[in-house]
Order: sequence, then structure tokens, then C-alpha cells
Amino acid sequence: MEKAINRQQILLQHLNPSPPSSSEQNYNSALSASACLAGDSAAYQRTNVFGDDVVIVAAYRTALCKSKRGGFKDTYPDDLLAPVLRALIEKTNLNPSEVGDIVVGTVLAPGSQRVSECRMAAFYAGFPETVPIRTVNRQCSSGLQAVADVAAAIKAGFYDIGIGAGLESMTANPMAWEGSVNPRVKQMEQAQNCLLPMGITSENVAHRFGVTRQEQDQAAVESHRKAVAATASGKFKDEIIPVLTKIVDPKTGDEKPVTISVDDGIRPKTSVSDLAKLKPVFKKDGSTTAGNSSQVSDGAGAVLLMKRSVAMHKGLPVLGVFRTFTAVGVDPAINGGGPAVAIPAAVKAAGLELDDIDLFEINEAFASQFVYCHKKLGLDLLKINVNGGAMAIGHPLGATGARCVATLLHEMKRRGRDCRFGVISMCIGTGMGAAAVFERGDCTDEVCNARKVETNNLLSKDVR
Amino acid sequence: MPVFKTPFNGYSVRFSPFYESRLAVATAQNFGILGNGRVHVIDLSPTSPIINELIAFDTADGVYDVAWSESHDSVLVAAIADGSIKVYDTALPPHSNPLRSLKEHAREVHGLDYNPTRRDSFLSASWDDSVKLWTLDRPASLRTFREHAYCVYSVAWNPKHADVFASASGDCTVRIWDVREPGSTMIIPGHENEILSCDWNKYDDCLIASASVDKSIKIWDVRNYRMPVSVLNGHGYAVRKIKFSPHRRNLIVSCSYDMTVCLWDFMVEDALVGRYDHHTEFAVGVDLSVLVDGLMASTGWDELVYVWQQGMDPKAA
Repeated sequence: MEKAINRQQILLQHLNPSPPSSSEQNYNSALSASACLAGDSAAYQRTNVFGDDVVIVAAYRTALCKSKRGGFKDTYPDDLLAPVLRALIEKTNLNPSEVGDIVVGTVLAPGSQRVSECRMAAFYAGFPETVPIRTVNRQCSSGLQAVADVAAAIKAGFYDIGIGAGLESMTANPMAWEGSVNPRVKQMEQAQNCLLPMGITSENVAHRFGVTRQEQDQAAVESHRKAVAATASGKFKDEIIPVLTKIVDPKTGDEKPVTISVDDGIRPKTSVSDLAKLKPVFKKDGSTTAGNSSQVSDGAGAVLLMKRSVAMHKGLPVLGVFRTFTAVGVDPAINGGGPAVAIPAAVKAAGLELDDIDLFEINEAFASQFVYCHKKLGLDLLKINVNGGAMAIGHPLGATGARCVATLLHEMKRRGRDCRFGVISMCIGTGMGAAAVFERGDCTDEVCNARKVETNNLLSKDVR
Repeated sequence: MPVFKTPFNGYSVRFSPFYESRLAVATAQNFGILGNGRVHVIDLSPTSPIINELIAFDTADGVYDVAWSESHDSVLVAAIADGSIKVYDTALPPHSNPLRSLKEHAREVHGLDYNPTRRDSFLSASWDDSVKLWTLDRPASLRTFREHAYCVYSVAWNPKHADVFASASGDCTVRIWDVREPGSTMIIPGHENEILSCDWNKYDDCLIASASVDKSIKIWDVRNYRMPVSVLNGHGYAVRKIKFSPHRRNLIVSCSYDMTVCLWDFMVEDALVGRYDHHTEFAVGVDLSVLVDGLMASTGWDELVYVWQQGMDPKAA
């Protein structure tokens, strides 16, 4: 540091020279050196030059609405995806033909049909036929997996610009099992546990790790409270794309055009006492109720990723940087513990500690698993789901990952320099967990990059 | 007018003596205080106002100055803040570069100048108070000139006399040297404050200019150096670099910590003939093209390199 201080002093002498003994004092004394107001440990503004970072340039979502009864109950799935894909193009002025691939996380619909629907949605959104599209399914993490797949493809050099999206209409495709079950599952407990309803796995987690009904209801209340506050203060306006659709009156059959731009699952007046009245749904003397479970919803989200060098060349602001993604496997009977394993793995892969993470989006599939995970990892509640979670906003399975990217990055942007790293994580049915680490768009520090690059030995000795 | 954005803060810009549209830019991270550096070799496009980067070389410490070889069209030397001088060849692939690293200075190398007449040697000015003479074919310096009492910021060969050069130092003097002589041949105590830059007039080999922290530029005749020929006032802060025009006898360009680039005619009473305030941070590097009359380039800590024709607005689209 000696050298740096010396150089600084030489420069300072150019600007504020100590007056020579002979001549008169005629210097501009309005100039004076002052201590850096940010303090010694401030990470001051540095431009970064890792042009091959994968950055997120835009992330948007639709509002999330209750299935079968909410705003999107009469909306075709492709009409949910098309607006967010379109928004990515319009808001960044990107030429859609430059997109190398679109990957859509989507879970419940029949595979081939859903891919076709997504292809149609891309056409509606204005993408030319030259842009391909595919889907990905890792159950609840599909939206996040889609973003990770696009990031990986960009890093692999398959293309420079890609879109990771998520789509789910649980109105059109409720959770179901088609056809018979292979009797072989009876021979292996783990395979059989893959068939457990998610609510039962929630009860398993609550029971095994001692998460009380009270704690779960409290978590649900908090989720609603934060979501209400976020909606009221207009925080979601940055990320929600209004969707023009229709509502069909079930009794009369009348069609009414509506614009959906607000999450309709959020309940402003939720209280613990109200939730306590609800009966457990999955187990007779259990603790998981409709109130402390994620809502069954319809919605979509889309994230535009590209190489940083491309974003700079196009003059697009960088919303966030994709750092790492990890998927892990856990016991299918207690899949709610997925995030507790996936988050440390993803954080470690990014070369960070849990304490370095400033903001979390942990999917609230059930309050039981959510409470277990944040307690197990010892996370600060003030950093988790600060604008509410799936219990209040909703969990359209395939869309959740992409929706969380939009919510997380926009919140990190609002919070400013203090908020450098964020993590998105969710548990996955049949016993998995996934987590991804993101970094704020404009404060990467190439002197101290999050991921240690062994081959980079260009740092000056002072820095090491 | 073409603009080039560098990822690091600009420190120096030089036109290539061989190609009209080629420039080298020296940049340093974090304003040259701490971090890496990069040398960019950029090309102006004949048709559009886009500047393309031909090649860039990363360095372990900031690059404070860069100079093109006068003998080989693809060779350039870079002054590095860790005290070394790196020789680069743009015709070779990146893994072959730098060709050589000349490490002798004990402190930051701040200025470089290539001999335009003999074309075989160059000088380096360093904060270790010395000036060193080098040739590309030798790994060690030919001579070391150690007389200054403080950092030497700038060094300039005389355009007519191949063995004569001048050095500007923070000890408030400009010294004139002859490589055939053991010591300096003249000492001009030109200013009361540090002198950051010096340059010879390209048409009158006895005129030399010095730019100082006292915000002024003084033109001296070496035959009578007690009194300056002209004093150019007008900058608001220390003047960082000056260059005499290769095309006009009386024209000199300067850039300053006041973020402006100024054009002066020192033979005229009201000397300031042009002021460009396109930079939004310290303007630290400026150069005039030898090959194209009126073409000038500047760079600053705002990470931008501007190239424009004298008389035009550098920021015009």
C-alpha cells in the first residue's frame, strides 16, 4: 500500500502544492484533500473488465394469480409467456433475432404440447422463426434451472444472448399423475417416497425438525405482511408486466377484458389467529394448512442474459451478474430440506461465505420447510424474502425460479451498494434442492472477484 | 468525432508515426494509484466515427506513458508504474508479448520518448529522479542521467539535434542534456513549482516549452533562458502535458487537471486560440498527429479517448 499512498501524494501535490517559501500565496485554497468518506473498507467504484461474465440485463414477470379463481383463470399459458418475452425485447430495444435460445422452465403440462405452446408464445412475442426454444423440467426449480442453463450455454460459447424463462398455469395443468404407477416402487422406499404428496413431505419436515404450527403460521403472516407492503409501496411495479387478458364469468359465460398487473393471492389482513382456525389438509393432526402453504398459481417470468461484453457493446445496463448454480439431491421424504444443502453448496462454489450474502429468495413451498431451512443455516430473517414469498405471492411451479430472479435483482438494485450478493433457492419435489448466487450489476470488483481465477496472475503486488 | 472508451483511466495517448489512423493509449486502473494497467492500440475507421481496438496488452501495474518506435511500425514501448518498461509488437500474437521487459528504474516510469531522428533509441523518465537511455536490442540501459532532485516527469528529444534532449522534473527545473556529454548542459529553473511536461518546438530547435503545477506554460529560448519568451496562462489547475504542433510553428497544445485541452499560439498577444472541455475528469494525455495536419487526440481519467480535427468539437457525433 506504500506505493499507492506515495502515488496519491504525488498527484495531490500537483493539485494542491505546498507553497514554496519565496513566492506569494496565490493558490486556490478552495481545494483540500479530505479523508475518504466511505471509510477504509469501502469498495469504491471500480469498473470491471470481465467481458465474459454472464450478466442479466432485464428480468420481468407477470403478476401471479390464484389458479382456477384468480386473474389468469381464463388465460392460455402461451398468453402468459408471450407478454414477458415481449417485455424483454421492448424494454431493452434488443433485436429479437439476436437471441440464441429461449429456455422455459415448466413443470406440469404434457412435455411436447408445452414446448409447442412456448414456441407459439415466442412468435406472439415477436421473435422470428430463427430463434429456437426449449423447455426444462426440474420440478419447482425449473425456472431457475432455465436461467442457469442459458448462463451455462453462454459460457460454453453456444450463443451470446439467451432468455431463461418460467411458465406455469396450474389452472390449465393441475398436479396429476397420468397412467399407472410401476409396482416396483414398493420395493424401494426412496422411489416410493417420490410419490408422496408435497404436503406430506411438509408434515415430515415439520415433525422431524420440530417446526411448530405456531411458527409456520407466523411465517405465513410475515410473508403476507411483507408482500402487502411491497405491493403498496409500488416495489413490484418495476418487475411486473401487465397482461391484457379476459375473465369469463363462470355463471353467465360473459367475457370481460381485464389487465392483470397485481398479485392477487396476497391477503392484507392475515393474522396468526385467523390462520390458526384453518384445519390441517394433509395429515389429521398435522400442522400444514392452506394458509401456511404456498399458493397454487398461474404466472410467468423471463430473464434476458448475455455476455457482459455484449451488454457493454449494446450500452445495456447490467441488472445483475449470474455467478453460480448448484442442484443437490436430498431424501425425497423430506425434500423441504433442499435449500439447506443447496445454498451452502452454491455459495461455496462462488467462493463466498454465507455471511457475504446480502439477500435471499428462498421459496416458501411450505412454511415448515422454509422455517427449517433458515434456522438450519442460521440466516438473518431480515435478509430473506423481504418482499414476501410464495405463501403470499404464489408458487406457479415452473415460473417461480424466473420470478424470483426478477424480484431479487430489482430489490438488490433498489438497495444499492450495500447489497452485493443474492441467493435464490428452492426445494424440489422428489428430493432435490437448487440454489443460485447472483451479484449486483455494477459493483463487481475485479481486484477481488467473487470467484478465484487461478490463471489470473496479473494483479499488482500491492493488491496481493 | 470518434470516441473510444477504455475500461481503465486514461494516462497517455500517442499517434503512430507510421499509420495515420493508429494510436496507442496508456491506461491504468483506479487512476493509476493501485491495480493493473492496459495498453490499447486503436484504429480510426475511415468511414464511420467508430474506433476499433486492434490489440490490447494487460500489465501488472498501471501504464503511465506509451511511445511508438520510429524504426518498426508495429513496435511500441510502455512505461509501467512498477518501474519497468515493456516493449510490445502488435504484429506478434498476444502470447509473444511483451517482447521485453526492461527493469532498471527503482520507481515509477512516468515518461517515454523515442528518438525521431536517429530512430534507434528512446529515453525513459522516472520518479526515481533519473532518465535512462535505451535501445531495443539491448536488455540494459545505455546511460543513466541522474541529476534531478525529484521525480522526472517528462523527457523530450530535440527534433533537430539527434543527441540533445530535455527533461522536466518535480525539482522545478528543466534540464537539457547531450548524450555525448557526461552531465546536463543547461539547467532552466523555469518555475517555482513542479514541472510536469516539456517539449521542443518542431521548427525552431532552440525553443522549448515547460508546463508546470503553477498552471502556466512557459516558452524558453535556450540561448537566453533567464527570461521566458512567452508565458501562457489560462489553465485552472496544473498543466499535465504539452506538445508543440508538427505542422504549425507557433502552435502548442496542452492538457490540464482543469479537464480542458487548450491550443495556444505563443507568438500572439492573446495566446489562447482554442479550448476544448470535452473531458469530465482530469485531462492527462494529449497528442498531435505528425501525419495528418490538425488531427489531435486526448485522453483523461474519465476513461475516454477523443480524436478530433482542430477546430471541430470533439464531442460532435
